Amino acid sequence: MEKGGFRVDPLTIDTTKIKFTKKQPVTALDKLNDTGLISTVLAAREREGLILFSTIDQIFNWARLSSLWPVTSGLACCAIEMMATAMAHHDVARFGMEIFRASPRQADLMFVAGTVTKRMAPRVKKLYEMMPDPKWVISVGSCANTGGPYIESYCVLKGVDLIIPVDVYIPGCPPRPEAWIYGIIQLREKIKNQGYGAKWGLNK
Amino acid sequence: MNPAEELKQLFPDSVVSVGFQIKKPLAIIKKEDLLNVAKKVKEMGFDNLSVITGIDYRDRFEVVYNFFSYTKKQNLVLKVILDHNNPEVSSLASIWKVADWLERETYDLVGITFGGHPNLKRILLPDGWIGHPLRKDYDMNVDQFVTVGEDGEDIVSTDGTNLLRR
Repeated sequence: MEKGGFRVDPLTIDTTKIKFTKKQPVTALDKLNDTGLISTVLAAREREGLILFSTIDQIFNWARLSSLWPVTSGLACCAIEMMATAMAHHDVARFGMEIFRASPRQADLMFVAGTVTKRMAPRVKKLYEMMPDPKWVISVGSCANTGGPYIESYCVLKGVDLIIPVDVYIPGCPPRPEAWIYGIIQLREKIKNQGYGAKWGLNK
Repeated sequence: MNPAEELKQLFPDSVVSVGFQIKKPLAIIKKEDLLNVAKKVKEMGFDNLSVITGIDYRDRFEVVYNFFSYTKKQNLVLKVILDHNNPEVSSLASIWKVADWLERETYDLVGITFGGHPNLKRILLPDGWIGHPLRKDYDMNVDQFVTVGEDGEDIVSTDGTNLLRR
């Protein structure tokens, strides 16, 4: 490798000589820091990081964001991208979200994936109200965000946030699976910073 | 001789004019004689009624019938011109079964009444919707909202307080 860029043919690299510099996590604190999921962690110094203190809501947040179960509801073509995101290539199971529940009573998260027509709007609202707390909503695509190309239509709601509160908006028509995953990561950040731990400034 | 000219020879009084609409033979029919002409069209082998379209031209309505014959591989377009104040034409549901739903759609969105239709009510929009949305004089400033009643029926109202967030 020369200065200023990679000039080495990657096929000729001897991978046996590469040494990983990252330290393997040893203590419980290291392991938890390594996940990057809990932002408020206090360690007892004298026990060398074997005892952890945190606010309880941060632990809850960690549990919530690690397995968000979405409800199976697709309204239009964005739902096709939702299926693509859930499939093996983009693999939303990495975020613990692979179980699309068939019942809103078992779900935490709702993707509003597609055009919300006037006739579908009360059904979407009912679906949201059937979900148990805590619940989150991601609005996906131009139609669900603002009405999109149907903004001048007589039968399309101009944004799903008129009827239910939305946490994350993903633009696109329809958004690619990469955009979905970015939106999911934004929602995880939002959940991570909920509650008193973040309000009191205990997160890093 | 294309099927439109054939119709002109058979019904010289009913067919107003013949021509072409995007390379398809077109015949403009008097609206009173549509049912007689349509029966003959069915006998000529046009077994498929592809689509019925209603158009609002502000001073008149036009209803366009697109036919296709699977045996002859031919197209035919029939057109009737209706009065703007009283758009009514006889139904073709007795000849082609598919005309039932196509005419309900045209009634729903354009507001053309089909006389003799077995079940003429809205097909896409819920019952109680004010106006016909594909008309030129449809009022876009009035927002209409749908809520679900206790029996699962759709209730249309202009105030969305039950639906919208406060």
